Amino acid sequence: MSRFLFPKWSNLLLPGLILAGAVAPLYAVFVVAYGFSPKTMEAGYQPEQPVPFSHALHAGQLGMDCRYCHNTVEKTSHAAVPPTQTCMNCHTQIRPESPKLVEVQESYKTGEPIDWIRVHKLGDYSYFNHAAHVNRGIGCASCHGRVDQMEVVYRWAPLSMGWCLNCHRDPEPNLRPVSQITNMAYEPELELSDDERLALIDKYDIHPSENCSACHR
Amino acid sequence: MPRVIVFTILLLGLLALIPPAIFARMRSTPGPGRPIHIVQDMDYQPKFKTQTANPLFADGRAMRQPVPGAVARGEVMDDPHYLEGAIDGQWATEFPSQVEVNMALLDRGRERFNIYCSVCHGVAGYGDGMVNLRAMALMANADGPVDGTAWVQPKNLHLPEVAAQPVGQIFHSITNGIRNMAGYQAQIATADRWAIVAYVKALQLSQNAPAGLRAEATP
Repeated sequence: MSRFLFPKWSNLLLPGLILAGAVAPLYAVFVVAYGFSPKTMEAGYQPEQPVPFSHALHAGQLGMDCRYCHNTVEKTSHAAVPPTQTCMNCHTQIRPESPKLVEVQESYKTGEPIDWIRVHKLGDYSYFNHAAHVNRGIGCASCHGRVDQMEVVYRWAPLSMGWCLNCHRDPEPNLRPVSQITNMAYEPELELSDDERLALIDKYDIHPSENCSACHR
Repeated sequence: MPRVIVFTILLLGLLALIPPAIFARMRSTPGPGRPIHIVQDMDYQPKFKTQTANPLFADGRAMRQPVPGAVARGEVMDDPHYLEGAIDGQWATEFPSQVEVNMALLDRGRERFNIYCSVCHGVAGYGDGMVNLRAMALMANADGPVDGTAWVQPKNLHLPEVAAQPVGQIFHSITNGIRNMAGYQAQIATADRWAIVAYVKALQLSQNAPAGLRAEATP
């Protein structure tokens, strides 16, 4: 009668298990940190809008200033989505019969708003103020990316609290003159020296708050 | 080592690569399937913020429209010079007392002109803005104007009849629109519209400056 003998390869089991036990937690930490980060789960949100409006055409090719449509951005916390009238300033005459503009024409006739899908949404407990930022030298592109190159707008930044705080703790790399706010191609770190950007901190009296209540109410 | 164990280990190793690959793809490619809120916190609260929808109202808007005829504080309607550019039914030839014409006003006017006007009228005011160029290209299409485009080139602001317009008339055109141009009352604040008028006047002078003035300006 033959006895059961562990085969020779079973000697590998113990070191193998130890290795697996060491690697598995590292793997789990990596997957959670990398995969569940807002950079993965939040950034890159690109919904299909009811009207295929192209920022790449209007803001990019035609070079329209962001404020032509988002004209409340310098005065209020909310950078308004424009009323349909703003579209119709031009589109009563330019491509009025385009099938892409059917919803816009409909909205213009009935006064019903177009159901744009919000791309940049914060938690409802956060109160971001656009005016406070654009009037102190934080450009559109710093948070929204190169919208002038986006055929369909997507969320370029994670808009997470850690991401906000990065800049609130050290705003200097992102500062530009207020006159360049809507210049999407402007890169503060290439255009201005460190000293010039530091001077902007004094000029615009920038003291970014890290208090909870600065943003959360 | 039995094959089945080797294969299982290899398979697990390969499977372990799938989640990082998916996440790497999500990071590099925008798409509609986000944001994914693993922890909801209080991100979605039953309250209404600016420009959100409220199904309780017939028009579906959370923001209410002002009652017809409502006048906001500071929006007094009894100053036709400032608000309409007219005095006793005549175009005003002077700026209203609320507007102080100085360099700051012209700078503001240039900035606003470049945002709102230059798209059609062009940065120098010759009626050759980027939107005009595109509309002209759509008109010149070999098979006829694209999608019913019917474009008339915007006014060249340096034509004698435009240059001769009093400030009140220019202000009125910006405010209420004229011919094919829509009014910009809702888009541009009253003070900024006057700033644009001042800048347009400076722009017109710059393109048709009398010889003496030019010599004076260049030391």
